Amino acid sequence: MSKRIDRRNFIRGCARYTLGFGLAGLVGFTLKDTTTGEWVWQIDPFKCTSCGRCATHCVLNPSAVKCVHAYPLCGYCDLCGGYLKPGHISRDTAAENMLCPTAAIERKFIEEPYYEYKIIEDLCIGCAKCVEGCSAFGNGSLHLQIRHNLCVNCNECAIARVCPSDAISRVPASEPYKIKGGFEPGSQDVAES
Amino acid sequence: MKTTNFLQNLYKILPPIVLILGVMVLVWWVFFNPTRSFVVSEPGRDGFAEAGAVEEDILIGEHFERFSTTQTSFTESWPRFRGEKSDNIYSSNIPLINSFGGQTPEILWSVEMGEGHAGAAIFEGLVYVLDYDEDLRADMLRCFVLDTGKELWRRWYDVQIRRNHGMSRTVPAVTEDFILTLGPRGHVMCLDRETGDFLWGMDLVEEYNTEIPLWYTGQCPLIVDGVAIIATGGDALMIGIDCTTGDVLWETPNPGGWEMSHSSIMPFEFGGRNMFVYSASGGVAGIAADGPDVGTILWETSMWNHPVVAASPVCMPDGKIFLTAGYGAGSMLLQLSENAGTFDVEILKTFRPGEGMSSEQQTAILADGYLFGVLPKDARTLRNQFVCVRPEDPTDIVWSSGPTARFGLGPFILADGKFYLLDDDATLVIIQKSTSGYVELDRVKLFDGHDAWGPLAIADGYMVLRDADRMVCIDLRRN
Repeated sequence: MSKRIDRRNFIRGCARYTLGFGLAGLVGFTLKDTTTGEWVWQIDPFKCTSCGRCATHCVLNPSAVKCVHAYPLCGYCDLCGGYLKPGHISRDTAAENMLCPTAAIERKFIEEPYYEYKIIEDLCIGCAKCVEGCSAFGNGSLHLQIRHNLCVNCNECAIARVCPSDAISRVPASEPYKIKGGFEPGSQDVAES
Repeated sequence: MKTTNFLQNLYKILPPIVLILGVMVLVWWVFFNPTRSFVVSEPGRDGFAEAGAVEEDILIGEHFERFSTTQTSFTESWPRFRGEKSDNIYSSNIPLINSFGGQTPEILWSVEMGEGHAGAAIFEGLVYVLDYDEDLRADMLRCFVLDTGKELWRRWYDVQIRRNHGMSRTVPAVTEDFILTLGPRGHVMCLDRETGDFLWGMDLVEEYNTEIPLWYTGQCPLIVDGVAIIATGGDALMIGIDCTTGDVLWETPNPGGWEMSHSSIMPFEFGGRNMFVYSASGGVAGIAADGPDVGTILWETSMWNHPVVAASPVCMPDGKIFLTAGYGAGSMLLQLSENAGTFDVEILKTFRPGEGMSSEQQTAILADGYLFGVLPKDARTLRNQFVCVRPEDPTDIVWSSGPTARFGLGPFILADGKFYLLDDDATLVIIQKSTSGYVELDRVKLFDGHDAWGPLAIADGYMVLRDADRMVCIDLRRN
């Protein structure tokens, strides 16, 4: 003999299960957004036009945007468009020949005819002058990235609002960097650049 | 009572405390240097001064190997950089293709090359290219058959060259009797054209204290009436060498200490004189090409002075000379005039990249009274576009290829009423020669190439081209 369920109990049971599933779904959805769904701001170096606003519009001073160097792309040139300003007097380390306003690029002679260029991140203000020079005359190995050890990850990035080329976007925190030259995100080369 | 005592004590101890603090502040102020962590940016901080020069004995033309002999039935030639007339225009009755017909042209032959941009010269069915052999570490002149790519012989000499955006980058000059080459580190080699026999060689660095330009020598040598013409810079501006004997026939003084550039010497006839126009690092000059004053400077100006000059001067029949250089330098238009055998030069216009015709690497082509060329990357909104300008005012842009048709640093040539333009990745583009607008007829990727910057050569309807690593030949004849 099967037990009959009256209408009242049936409706009560349906309501209980509906509420339970609804609550579970809401909790799951909320947890998903707060745990696996972390997002950060990222610069696409292929869209960047080196306008210089990264240096002036970040809420931090100096900016959380820094120049990084993709060494596999670099030509290691004596005449580096990212290091020497146009019309330089000589190709050396004298201040009057440098393009970088804060001397944040270190030039080191390797062997004839190669020179290595290294970004001193503490001095870099993200002005992109070197990026513009490297893109115009070289291989484009110098490019900007938002450094996430500095970025405070604003809900609305002040630079993204003024970026003329929409080069800054929200991306999953698992892929925070878009690096030229085939670097793995967060690799030692980037960290040291 | 207690308060009064405390104040009395405070009055006693306060002055010594203030005195001690004052002395401490004074000592700190005197001895503390807030700029102690500053570094002076002065020359030599890159460590260059500690580097030593490479010493090696180089015997120009030392080695030779012949593989085969052959007879060809071809009659046309592309005997040097920019062809017989130095205008980069292929003049022939052979009709060339207007499109690729939806197919990739057959690569007739493909030869692996040392990394570089050295283009080919063609003489009656034989292709000559100054390669750099990375295994033997040698400048190597190689001779191929035009339609088969069969290598007939090679002559080389050992010289250490390190990669620096390529190693080879010059086109030989070839005549009926001679082949003249200029290697990356300034080694001149002259050979008998038919046999490949070594005639003479010269090390420009040793003989003339030539400063080799950045990324090695880009100047393509010239032969005029059996005389090798080389712009040495250093102890001379230009020299003429007898191709048969190797004797130096004349030397142009170089009081301004101008240096060799990547630009090549352009022969020019104006005001009843033949002259060699050369855009050096330091200035531009016209050198008498014949007569009793051969080798003397007819005119010069150091107002055109840039460290990296790659494009060659474009000399126009009315005496205008268009000059351009890369790395932000921009361009200049000169007007040459002649009066009773003396020459005067006037600067008509100077402008930045993006304001008009300019080029980082390739030389513009003058055709139908207009200048055609590809603008450099720093030409703002017109960057990398193929443009047509009026030569009397190269900032007057007649048309540009538009933002959807941009090109790299590759070469272009005018042939059969069409421009054949090779893009960086070995994509060959056919563009209608027009003074009214950009008309792209077709394009095709010939192979997976990169840095395809070497000058093009066409003879008998065959085009020889290259990317950084290989040289190929395609048949452009229209059936």
